[in-house]
Amino acid sequence: MTVPPTALFSEEEARALYERLLAEDPVAPSDLAVTYLERLTTWLIAHNPRVHPNDCATAAGDAILALIKNPKTYKPGRQTLEVSLRMSASGDLKNLLGSERRHREHRADWQAVAHSPVARKYLEDTGADPARMLEQREDEALMAVRSSPGAESLRAGLTPEETRVIELMQMRERQTALYAAALGISDLAFQAQQREVKRVKDRLKKRLKRAGGSDG
Amino acid sequence: MASRIDALAQRLQDDPFFLASALADYARSERLDDGALAVVLGCSVKTLGPLRLCRRPHPEPRLFRQDVERIASRFGVKADVLAAAVRRSDALSRMRRGENSGSGLLVAARDRQPDNHNGEATQGGLL
Repeated sequence: MTVPPTALFSEEEARALYERLLAEDPVAPSDLAVTYLERLTTWLIAHNPRVHPNDCATAAGDAILALIKNPKTYKPGRQTLEVSLRMSASGDLKNLLGSERRHREHRADWQAVAHSPVARKYLEDTGADPARMLEQREDEALMAVRSSPGAESLRAGLTPEETRVIELMQMRERQTALYAAALGISDLAFQAQQREVKRVKDRLKKRLKRAGGSDG
Repeated sequence: MASRIDALAQRLQDDPFFLASALADYARSERLDDGALAVVLGCSVKTLGPLRLCRRPHPEPRLFRQDVERIASRFGVKADVLAAAVRRSDALSRMRRGENSGSGLLVAARDRQPDNHNGEATQGGLL
């Protein structure tokens, strides 16, 4: 028998797979799932260590199924297929956890507890992990900029490369290589990539902070 | 332990977009478990997960044959069995739809009626 692919990792191959999906190749959905499900699940688990792996697998599956059903939702010019799937899976995971949390709260009738900031702090225990706190602050900054009055002007002033970097930051991506690819500096030495990525991220964080502030 | 691909495929047994639904219908109608289904298709049980994640063959006859052959050659399964499985599932789906609307299944279940004085039965009537 022919063995399903396990290593379609280059951008060219991912693009070819996506084209097959668009062309309604009946095998393409299977190839997409086999290629990305495990990677995507592993990535979600690594970035959400407190979440049950089964939930991560469900969210990864949801993201892949969504792409299979509606391949045109992916815009190849904006980001790689893998980055797009990660963003989609992260969103699906948040929705899944939100839905589960609401279900639990409803079942246990804990609404009064959930509405208490003090009680919620102890329930969620997000303050226990400094790395998690830092991520949470970055998330809050990113969320704030979306809804702030200065968000529109900030977005308008971003280059396509900076937009991709912000998307990666939203996904809590840690790999320098992905940021380097987004910035088009993959050909630089790794240390130079690290320096440039840090410089761009720091600059963007400052701009996000300013845009999220009351002065716009 | 089931792989993640197998678990994902299991979620799709009622989704007509995927081959999983056709194989589920076929297996139920033939009372086959996964092992027996794999034997009938001529593949390993491990192949069933990825196979179920394929898009269901296009209903238009020319494309149907093309899709079945593409899937069969990719996964090394018997094209004729695969085609029969999808056709069976299509027929069952039509019957289920008929059931829901209160017709169709009754037509399928009705005894043939003599249509002439010699008592010969009419042909067809099923689907």
